[in-house]
Amino acid sequence: MKTLNILLIEDDMIEVMKLNRTISSLQLNHKIIEANNGEDALKILEQKDVLPDIILLDLNMPKINGIEFLGILKNDETLKYIPTIILTTSNNQKDLLECYKIGVAGYVLKPLKYEDYMTKIEKLLAYWSINELIKV
Amino acid sequence: MDQNQVEILKRALDREKNARKAAEKILEEKSRELYFTSQKLENLLNEKSSELQGVFENIVDAYVVIDLNGKILKFNEAATKLFGYDIDKEGVNVAKLIHKDDFQYAEECFNNLLSHGFFKDYETRVYTKSKEVKWVHVNGSIVFDKDNKPVAAQGIVRDITEERASAEKLIESESRLATLVLNLDSGIILEDENRNIVLTNTKFCELFKIDAQPSDLYGMDCATASEKNKVLFKNPEGFIQRMQSIDKAKETVIGDELEMLDGTILERNYMPINIGDKSKGFLWTFTDVTLKRTYRKRLEAQRQKYFSIIANMNLGLVEVNNDDEILMINQSFSEMSGYKEEELLGKKSREIYPIEDGSEIIAKEHEKRRRGESNSYELKVKTKQGDIRYWLISGAPNFNLNGDVVGSIGVHLDITELKELELQKEKLLIKLEKSNDELQEYAHIVSHDLKSPLRSIDALVSWLKEDNKGKLDEMSLKNFELIEATLEKMEQLITDVLDYSSVGAEKIETEAVDLDKILSDVITILYIPEHININAIHPLPTLKGDAIKLQQLFQNLISNAVKFIDKEEGIITIDFEDLKSHYKFSIQDNGIGIDKQFHDKIFKIFHTLNKSKDSTGIGLSIVKKIVDLHEGQIWLESQLNVGTTFYFTLKK
Repeated sequence: MKTLNILLIEDDMIEVMKLNRTISSLQLNHKIIEANNGEDALKILEQKDVLPDIILLDLNMPKINGIEFLGILKNDETLKYIPTIILTTSNNQKDLLECYKIGVAGYVLKPLKYEDYMTKIEKLLAYWSINELIKV
Repeated sequence: MDQNQVEILKRALDREKNARKAAEKILEEKSRELYFTSQKLENLLNEKSSELQGVFENIVDAYVVIDLNGKILKFNEAATKLFGYDIDKEGVNVAKLIHKDDFQYAEECFNNLLSHGFFKDYETRVYTKSKEVKWVHVNGSIVFDKDNKPVAAQGIVRDITEERASAEKLIESESRLATLVLNLDSGIILEDENRNIVLTNTKFCELFKIDAQPSDLYGMDCATASEKNKVLFKNPEGFIQRMQSIDKAKETVIGDELEMLDGTILERNYMPINIGDKSKGFLWTFTDVTLKRTYRKRLEAQRQKYFSIIANMNLGLVEVNNDDEILMINQSFSEMSGYKEEELLGKKSREIYPIEDGSEIIAKEHEKRRRGESNSYELKVKTKQGDIRYWLISGAPNFNLNGDVVGSIGVHLDITELKELELQKEKLLIKLEKSNDELQEYAHIVSHDLKSPLRSIDALVSWLKEDNKGKLDEMSLKNFELIEATLEKMEQLITDVLDYSSVGAEKIETEAVDLDKILSDVITILYIPEHININAIHPLPTLKGDAIKLQQLFQNLISNAVKFIDKEEGIITIDFEDLKSHYKFSIQDNGIGIDKQFHDKIFKIFHTLNKSKDSTGIGLSIVKKIVDLHEGQIWLESQLNVGTTFYFTLKK
């Protein structure tokens, strides 16, 4: 299994903890880069030599929200190739539609229960670890 | 005798001698003259008699000679032609020629001829050889021999068949004319120079209430008669005076109107009749025009009525010709547009008040008028004062008497206030839609923001449990479970509130929805315990509606039914009925039942009968909202401990 560089864009501290704990308790070797909002994430992505393999993106964020961030990403000649998976509470049909319109590699709803969350994350990461990805 | 006396006598004798000589000479001259004259006369006589012979032979009319027994002795060429007989070849008797009806008349004539020696102007019918009947005119005389004894009769026969026919025609047409005059719808009087009646008719007697035949009036004096008739008129003296002045002028007068006491209105015309330079009399005609006049009066009254309607109505009226030039406007239009009539007449309407693309609209509408079409349209205009107004114009083509389009008439209604309300409404709708969208967004954000802490708490609780595995007592573990259950319920509540707000906020998408498929989807999605059976008695119909909402409807009702079944064997029965405009559905369960007093309350939001961990009290409110959206109704029948049947209708 490949080790993934994952950029997690999430403003909720506990959500970040949840992903970290999930990866460590599942004993996965993926590396997580944290960004608390879209601006931070864009700064991180400016360093084109160390780009993440996938991005996990929350939609409800202050300043640049998830959909705006996605738009910026998809307009960038390099960054648009990074698979971006939405990780959100919003099951708003409008958001779902908009995201797929702009272009996402997945749309995962955050479940209430932590066990359910772990299951989803495990599957998600397992899927992306077996995928061939574009390396810059 | 003395010498003197002898001399005198001698001279007298000489004078006499000379005189006789002169007389003899004159006599001689005269007798010579006479001789020449008689010579001339003799020649002339010869000439004349041979001429006469030729005349008889070549006369245009037929010349016939018969003996006293009627045998025809001689026909000239015209006679041969007229009768068709060649008497050189066949003997013909006059009797054969005479028409059977005129036989007696012919006999009388012949007797007349024998007794008087001639007859004249005998007109009779004859047969020709080909049995054709002809009218002839005959003058005849007896021919005597040298002893003055009658030997034959001769006659000139003229064919008058055609004359006779045209005479008959003339009589016929005269009598036709007379009948026409007699029965004319106008009363007429033809009078001579002395004002005596020459001709009149029935209608005249009728109009003047004269109880007599028209012929009884012939010869009467008009002046006297009219003195008697004047009492029939409202202005008797005026009637007489006018008549006298017309008679005096002897010139044509047309269209005098006379009002009679009984209300009848007569039109009187007068004209002298001249043939060549000769006066043939004076013709008066009287026509009853009462109907025509009252009709015209009524027409005028109608015209006045409509005119005042047009002038005073609150609608602007404009008449234009085919070039869009204004021909007429009413007062209201003047007030609407701010222009005076004289400022608009002759101007093109599209160049004056329309703004934006109004000129093109007017041009297009005029094109329709020219094709004879009528319709209404709206126009944004600028009045003379510069106000922007909206007009609703109802335009119709204007036709002339031949049915050609000569322009159009537009009725204008100022709808500015209405239009502003409409625009306001549109703006409000857009605003409302926007705020609805915003509300929807807000609901999503709020639900996200509310759900996030719940998720965090759940994660933290599960980490506490994980990190303290084996250290926690039974009671603490139980409490952790309770926290988790509460979190779940809280999340469900947030989801339901969001759903409820979404049901009304989103526009209803109508499409053909196969409810049978929806039902089987719902049954797949829902968790149905083993002991519960769901029976759909008939395949459900397809109707127009919102698929997602209809699915939610069935899902909520069926999951409710499942939730409240307390029997060992659960039965849920689904069926429907076809009403006219709606379908009526029923979902029956054998659950705990609902007390009658709660039947209305359960559809209200947050009202739940059984506080349980998976009941938020919103489900049925959502159901009701969806039924409302599909123009239906929902109600239930229930018996405690036996079961509940929900009924609802949905529009087809």
